[in-house]
Amino acid sequence: MEKFTIELIVANRYGVLNRITGLYARRGYNIDSLNVNETSDPKFSRMLIVSRGDAAIQTQMVRQLSKLYDVKEVTLMSTVNFAK
Amino acid sequence: MKKSGAQIIIEQLCAHGVTTVFGYPGSAVLPLYDALYQNAHRISHVITAHEQGAAHAADGYARASGKIGVVITTSGPGATNIVTGIANAYLDSIPLVAITGNVDVPLLGKDSFQEVDIVGITQPVVKHNFVVRDIRELEFTLHEAFRIAGSGRKGPVLVDIPRNIQTEICDYQGLTPADAEVPVVQISKDIEKAAEAIARSERPYIYAGGGVVASGAETELLKLSRRICAPVGLSMMGITALPADDPLNLGMCGMHGTYAAAMTEAKSDLIIALGVRFSERATGDPEAYTKNRTILHIDIDLSEIDKNISANIGICGDIKAVLQKLLEILPQRENAAWLQYVDQLKKQQTVQAPDGFTPKNIIETVSRFCSDDTLIATDVGQHQMWTMQYYPFTRPRTQLTSGGLGTMGYGLGAAIGGCIAAGGRKTVLFTSDGSFGMNLIELATAVTQQLPITIIVLQNGTLGMVRQWQTMFYGGRYSQTTLDRKTDFAALASAFGGVGCYATNIQELESALQNTLDNGPTVIVCPIDIDEKVLPMIPPGGSARDIITS
Repeated sequence: MEKFTIELIVANRYGVLNRITGLYARRGYNIDSLNVNETSDPKFSRMLIVSRGDAAIQTQMVRQLSKLYDVKEVTLMSTVNFAK
Repeated sequence: MKKSGAQIIIEQLCAHGVTTVFGYPGSAVLPLYDALYQNAHRISHVITAHEQGAAHAADGYARASGKIGVVITTSGPGATNIVTGIANAYLDSIPLVAITGNVDVPLLGKDSFQEVDIVGITQPVVKHNFVVRDIRELEFTLHEAFRIAGSGRKGPVLVDIPRNIQTEICDYQGLTPADAEVPVVQISKDIEKAAEAIARSERPYIYAGGGVVASGAETELLKLSRRICAPVGLSMMGITALPADDPLNLGMCGMHGTYAAAMTEAKSDLIIALGVRFSERATGDPEAYTKNRTILHIDIDLSEIDKNISANIGICGDIKAVLQKLLEILPQRENAAWLQYVDQLKKQQTVQAPDGFTPKNIIETVSRFCSDDTLIATDVGQHQMWTMQYYPFTRPRTQLTSGGLGTMGYGLGAAIGGCIAAGGRKTVLFTSDGSFGMNLIELATAVTQQLPITIIVLQNGTLGMVRQWQTMFYGGRYSQTTLDRKTDFAALASAFGGVGCYATNIQELESALQNTLDNGPTVIVCPIDIDEKVLPMIPPGGSARDIITS
């Protein structure tokens, strides 16, 4: 399975992290690593989420995340082949 | 202008054209209910017997009217009681705004009396939800709630408003729907690719769903099917997208769809899927479904494209707008061979049902007493499938049924909401002893509201659909499905203040239908055989070649 990183710009509010991780959990995708920081504009946070899945899963996650109200930007960053 | 939180809620409801809300009061919404009392001339509030009924009523109201349904409940149990109703609306993309009260902001997070985290609980089944912890955010939040619920792919939005926010005072700006920034759904550039695929296709088939109804694209669907000589199979949510008597309408497709729809789909070389999500109940085995054919998928929600079935061509956009663009460039086709093939299939499936008091004959008899605009609600199970198979739906927004969630107990609340939305128009609820038993308390609401709802209870003494699966797949071991109850639904109807009777043959049913109330509910109990089955049936994960017809 391929590792992939999604970068999100989200509203910097209580409960937002829960909405993002809840989406991963509902679809059954494990999060390998998660990093959240406030951006230079304190209204927003930047999240970096590393997860695993094929191209179809990656596209699906980007599209599902884009639908969330608190998500302002979604970028599929890098994909790294993960040797089993 | 300064207003209290409760007044701001009222003003925002009115600004969004809300004239009717469904709900149930309680301590955490007392300020709001006080404002409702003072604004009774602007907003009519319908109290149900149980909050679940209020949520289903708001859902039925939205389906029948095309407007956004509104449900209001108190905190804690009031809020948790509408979770099923919210999930039901979510799975069927029905626009709903749910307003729940909560304990005062300082008491939040302290396990206070009747406190639950309803925002956390409903998170997976809403388009979005909010808790308003600051009065200054209230107006904009409600305004956003209506925008989100009613735009793009529609759905439920919950706004949790602590009690003290309802009493605090704040400036009111007067936001209206015109102030909302509704993002325009851009149509992707694959329209021409779609037109080419249609031009290449020798055996095109249209699979239309709830998105067609949500978009109001029924006329465009009809034009498309005529233009390219494509027969149409309908998902349950799309059953009103094309009139039942249209020659190109194959009826419902999928697990309990028609023989003609299954065979046409299997023979097609192109599936044009409009406003559907390719539920596994509609497609069966995804490999057989996509083999040797092109899939053209058009939907307003980009995340639906390639989710369950991967599409050769995917177009994201509002169905009506996309079809209008397609129709601009598609030439008129002739395809006598394909139409003849489909026509023959349709003739083959008109198997003469046996005379007698069968579900088919009952539903067809009821339909003779209905007009094109009669609202038809159902609960969930065998009677629901029979209604989809045998009731001749003609007009959009006349069907109220729980598609995605399959909520037993949905029907009566939905019938109440739909009937009110339609100004008290005649409404029929097809239900069964299992489903009706779940939320029949709403008979009280139908009596109080004087709603002309005719309730046909197909009483087979069992949970029929589960029994059917137990017969077919579990060796006839009827685990917990034989009800063995002694409930007299006709007497119960009278106890609630409506009327009820039994009909044991078609003549009795006809006479009962002639005597239904026009200012209250009428329950007609129709005993049917315990082993009546819903056929045809494609077993779960199967395909057209596995169809069981007898």
